[in-house]
Amino acid sequence: LQRNTSVSDSDSVRLEVSACLRCLSSSDSSRNITVLQTLLSYLDEASHGAAQRAQFSRSHYSRTLRVLITTIEADWVHRLTARQREELWDALFLRGPPEQALLVLLEAIGELSPSTSLDHVVTITEKFLQDGRLTNLLWSYCVGSAQSDSPQLRETLLGRLSALPDIMANKLHHNISPLFLPQQYYPLLASAMLTALQRTCQALRGQHQPDNINCSLAFVSQTLGKLCLQGHGGLVLAAMAPRLSACTRSDMVWQRVCWKLFESIPQRSMECVLTALVLAVSGIVGNLVLRNKKAEFVITHKLLLLQYKYETGVLRTVLGYLAADRDRRPLLIQVLRCICQAWANPSAVKHTPMEQQLYVSKALLLSVSLLKDQELQDLRSELLQCLLGGMQSHLDSSVLRIRCVGMVVGECLSSRMDNADTKLKFEYEQDEETRELLSLMTPSGWCEPESESLQETKELAPNTCSVASQRRQTTPPLAPTDPDSDLDSDDELTPYDMTEDQEVSQTSPPRYLRDCLESLMSSEDAMRVELSLKAADPLVRRNAFAAREISVQMSKVLLHMEDKYNIQGFLILRHAAMVALAVTDCIPVTQYLTTEFYSLNYSLRQRLDMLEVLVAAAQELSLPTTDKKNSSIISALDVAELPPFQGHDPVHWRQVVEKRIQSKTRRISKGASQPATAKATPNRYAPVAGYFFFPLLKNYDKPEVTFDLLGSDHLVLGRLIHSLGLFMHLAVNAPVAAQMGSALLDFVWTVRYHTDQMVRRGVLFAVCSVFLSMPSQNLLLDLGDMLFETRTWLTDVAEGDPDADCRSLAVQSLVLLDKSLKKQLKDPQSPSLES
Amino acid sequence: MSHPPPSPIYTLRGAGGPLNSLHFRCYGEDAPLLFSGSGKGCIHIWNLNTRRTNKVIEGHSGSSIIWVCTKRSKDTLISQGRDMQICLWDLGEGRCDLLDSVWTGSVGFCQCSMLETSPISSLLAFAGQQTEEIKIIELPSKIQICTLMPVAKVGMVMCINLFQPDSCPGPLLLAGYEEGSLLLWDVTQQSILSQVKAHPDPVMCLTFDPTRLRGISGSSEKNLSSWKLDEKNNLQLQGGVTLANPGVSQLCIREDGKLLASAGWDSRVRVFGWKKLRPLAVLQYHTDMVLSVAFSDHQDPRQRLMAAGSKDQRISLWSLYNES
Repeated sequence: LQRNTSVSDSDSVRLEVSACLRCLSSSDSSRNITVLQTLLSYLDEASHGAAQRAQFSRSHYSRTLRVLITTIEADWVHRLTARQREELWDALFLRGPPEQALLVLLEAIGELSPSTSLDHVVTITEKFLQDGRLTNLLWSYCVGSAQSDSPQLRETLLGRLSALPDIMANKLHHNISPLFLPQQYYPLLASAMLTALQRTCQALRGQHQPDNINCSLAFVSQTLGKLCLQGHGGLVLAAMAPRLSACTRSDMVWQRVCWKLFESIPQRSMECVLTALVLAVSGIVGNLVLRNKKAEFVITHKLLLLQYKYETGVLRTVLGYLAADRDRRPLLIQVLRCICQAWANPSAVKHTPMEQQLYVSKALLLSVSLLKDQELQDLRSELLQCLLGGMQSHLDSSVLRIRCVGMVVGECLSSRMDNADTKLKFEYEQDEETRELLSLMTPSGWCEPESESLQETKELAPNTCSVASQRRQTTPPLAPTDPDSDLDSDDELTPYDMTEDQEVSQTSPPRYLRDCLESLMSSEDAMRVELSLKAADPLVRRNAFAAREISVQMSKVLLHMEDKYNIQGFLILRHAAMVALAVTDCIPVTQYLTTEFYSLNYSLRQRLDMLEVLVAAAQELSLPTTDKKNSSIISALDVAELPPFQGHDPVHWRQVVEKRIQSKTRRISKGASQPATAKATPNRYAPVAGYFFFPLLKNYDKPEVTFDLLGSDHLVLGRLIHSLGLFMHLAVNAPVAAQMGSALLDFVWTVRYHTDQMVRRGVLFAVCSVFLSMPSQNLLLDLGDMLFETRTWLTDVAEGDPDADCRSLAVQSLVLLDKSLKKQLKDPQSPSLES
Repeated sequence: MSHPPPSPIYTLRGAGGPLNSLHFRCYGEDAPLLFSGSGKGCIHIWNLNTRRTNKVIEGHSGSSIIWVCTKRSKDTLISQGRDMQICLWDLGEGRCDLLDSVWTGSVGFCQCSMLETSPISSLLAFAGQQTEEIKIIELPSKIQICTLMPVAKVGMVMCINLFQPDSCPGPLLLAGYEEGSLLLWDVTQQSILSQVKAHPDPVMCLTFDPTRLRGISGSSEKNLSSWKLDEKNNLQLQGGVTLANPGVSQLCIREDGKLLASAGWDSRVRVFGWKKLRPLAVLQYHTDMVLSVAFSDHQDPRQRLMAAGSKDQRISLWSLYNES
C-alpha cells in the first residue's frame, strides 16, 4: 500500500508537471500565471508533501527550467508585469535545487545570443550569486541532500563553478557585471565554502540541528582542488586562509574540519592546492604531510629541490611549517639531509643554474637556523661533511657568484655549528645577495600564528616608541655639552678648493727609458720603483725608437715584477706599461709573450697577465688613430677604463658583441649620420693579427708539470679562448681573418662541452666572434660540414645549457650565423660564386 | 664648485736665508711692521706700506735666529738665536741698540715664550742648559723665577707656551717634549698639573687659545693633535686633523679665534677653521719647507694679514677671510 501510494504520488506529480509544461509551451497564455504558481508551489513546503516535493526536485525541476528558458521569447512572458516576472518566473530559478538551476542558467547563457532574454538570464544568475545560492549549493552537497549526484554531473558542475567568470566573459565581453569578474567571484565562492565549513562545524557540535547529520567535505575539497588546478588558488586562498588559520588556532572542531578538507582533496590537484596554500599560510593543513605521500613529496622535495621560482618567504613558510610541530620535525631533518646533499654535490654546482643554487643555499641556511641545538649535535658530523665537500666544490667554481655564495654559506654553517673559535671567515664583498643570505640565519621571520605575531608587533610597537622617545629625551641634554654647537661656528667660512693637496714625493721620476728600466730591474728604493713604473708607459710611447731596442727585455722585467713595495695601482700601472711596449714594438713583444705563455714556471696570474696585455694591445692597435698625440690619450683613457681583473665580468664581452651586432644592423636613419670627417687610417692591427693569434694555438694540449691547460687550469683555458675570440673579433676585415676563423673553430671544437661554464662562455664568445668577423663567403667555403655540426651544437646549447649567459650567447651566435649564411646565399655578386 | 685657492697678495724677498720666525706689529699710528728672523742671523724689519726693509739687525754673530718678538708697551724687540743668547733691542725713535742679553745655554731649537704680566715687567720662559730644563725669568730684572725639570723621562723640550688663565692666580706653562708628551706646569708651584701623550714623535710646535682653553700641537707625522684644558686643569685629547703630508713647523691661531694656520714641511700653508678644525684652504706658493706662520694684529679686521716664511727665503703675505 505504501508503495502504491508513492507510485500514485509520483505519477500524479509527473502528470501535473507535464500538463503544466505543455501549457507553457503552447502559445495560449491565459492560464500561464496559474501554471507558474502551481510549479512554484512544488518548491514550497506548505502546499505539497515532502515526497512530492522531492520527486519534483529530482525528476522534473531541470526539465521545467529548460522549458521556461525555451519560452523566454514567448509573448506571454513579455506580457507579465515586472512584479509577476520576479515573483513567479525568476523565483522558480532561485528557490529550487541550486546545482540544477546553475547548470540550466549557464547552459542558457551559452546558447542565447545577445538579446534582452540573455540580459534577463544574466540578471537571474547575478541574483543567484547575490542570494548566496552558492552556499546552499555547497552545503547541499555537504549534507548529501543534493538530489542528483553522478560523477559526470559532479564533474560538470565543478567545471562550471570554477570557470564561471570565463563563461560569462566569453559571452558578455565588455558588458560584464563586476560580480562575474574573477576578483569578485572567487572571493564570493571562497566565502561560500567558508560558510559551508562553518555549518559543518556547527553540525558536528550539534548546534542548530536537532538531529546529527553526516557531513561530507568531499565536494568542497573537490571544488577547492579544481579551483587551484585552474590557477585561481591565489584569489581563493587569499580569502580563505586568514579566516581558516584564525579559526583553527583555538577550535578543535575547526581544526578537524580543516584537516579533513585538505585530506580529501583529489590527488591530482594536491600540488596546486599546497603551493597556493604555502604562498598564503601553512598552519591550517595540520600533519597532512605525514599522511599523504603526495603532499609529503610536494612539500619536502618538489618545493625545495626541484623548483626554484619561489620567493624566500615561501621557503621560510615551508621550512617553518615542517619545524613547527614535533611530529613533523623528523621530516625537517630528512629535508635538511637532502638539501645538504644537493648543496654539496659537485656536479650540482657545475650543472644547475645559478638561481637554483642560490635557492638551495637559502633553504639550507633556513633549515639550519631552525634546528635546535640537540638536533644540531646529532647532525653535526653530516653537516660537517656537507660543509667540507660543499665548500670545496663551490670554491672550485670559476664563477664569482657561486664562490661568494659558498663562502657565505660556509661561514654561516660553521658559526652555527661551532661555538668555539674555529669559525670559518672569508673575505668577500658585501652585496644585496650576501646580505640576504646572512640575514636568513637570524630566526626572525616565521611564526605560525599570524594574529599572535600581529599582537606581538602591536605590543612591540609601543616599546619601540618608548625607546625612541627615551632616546629623544636623552639626546637634548647631551647637546649643550657639545662644544661645537656654538652659534658662531666655522660654517660661515667657505672652504677653497683643496683638490691640489696631494702627497708630495721626494724623488723625481726617471726621464730616460733606460734609467727607468734600470731602476725597475735593480732599484731597492720603493719611491724610485714606483715613479719608474708610473713613468714607464708615457716614456715608452714617447720614445718609440729607444723602446724598440729594449722592448723584450723590459717586457720580461715587467712580467716578472712583483709588488714588493705595495705600490698603489701596481697592477694597472704594470699592465699599462706592458701594453705600451706591445703596441710600440708589436712583433717581438707578442712573440715573446706568446712563447712565454706556454713555457714552464709561470704562475697562473702571470699567464693571465700575458693574455690581458695581449688583448689590450690588440684592442689599442685596432682603434683608428688620427694623429700621434691623440693615440696616446685614447690609449691612456682605455687603460684607465679597463679594470685590472676583467676576467670575471662577462658584461665586458657582451658589450663588445652587442656593439658589433649594433653596427652590423643596418638602420636607414643612421645612414646619414655617419660622421663625414672620419678619415681613413690604416688598421695597425690587421697586418700583425696573426702574431697575436696563431702562436697561442700551438702547444695547448701539451701538459707541462706546472701548467695543464686541458686539466685543472681551466680558468686560464677560459681566458685563453676568450682572448682568442677577441683577437678574432678585432681582425674583422683583415685578410687573415678567414684562416683565423677556421683555426679557431677547430680549436674550440674539442672543449665545447667543457664542464666549467667560464670555458663554455669563452667558447661561445669565440664562436660568436668567428661568425662576426669571418667574411661570409668564406664561411661556407672553408667551414663546410663543420658549420652544420656547429649549428646543431649551438641549438643544443641554446636549449639545454644550465648557464643563462651561455644560452644567450648561443642564441646570438645562431642569429649571426643565420644572418651571415642568408647574406651569402642571397648575394649573387659574392666572389665565391664567381670563382 | 669651490673657488680656486687664493694667491699671496705680495711677497717679500731678500731675507737671504730661511725664515725661522715672523712677528707682526701693526697696531698704533706707525707704519705696520713685520719682523723676520732668518737662518743667516739677520733680523729684518719690513715696512708693510712700502714693502721694503726698514732695517736689518745683525746681532747674534751670524747664528740662526729662531725667535723674534716685540713687547707691547715699549719699542723693545726680543730675539733669540742659536748662539744661546736672548737679546733685547731698543727700537725707539729709529734706534737699534742692544739693551741687554740673557745667556740660555740651550742648544735646541725651542722658541721662547713671553708673558707680559704688567706694563713694565714680563715673564720669559726658555729652554735651559739641560735638555729637559725650562727656565723662567722676569724681565727686565733678569731674576730667575723658577726652573722646571720633569722627573719622568720625556726627552728634550721642543716648544713652550706661557699663559695666564683666568682661573689660576699664577701663570701656567705648556711644554711639548721630544718623546711626544705635553706637560702642563704650574709655574708658581713648580709642579706638573697634567701630562698627556699627544704624538708618537717629537712635538714640533704647539699653540694655545687661552680664551677657549683649547690648543693644538703638531709633530713630524701627519696628524695634528687637538686638546682641551678642563676646569681642573687637566689636558684632554680631542682628536685632531690628518694632513696630506707629514711635518708641521709652526701653528698659529688668529686673534679672533676663527682661523688656525699650519706651516707644513711640504711647502704648503694649511688654513683651518679653529672651532671645528674644518680644512678651509691649502696655500701653495713656496717651493721649500714653510718654517713660520703668523697673523697680523691690525686693529681694523679688514686689513688683517697672514705671513708665511719659508726655507726658500721668501715671505708670502695673504689676506684670508677678512670680510666679517
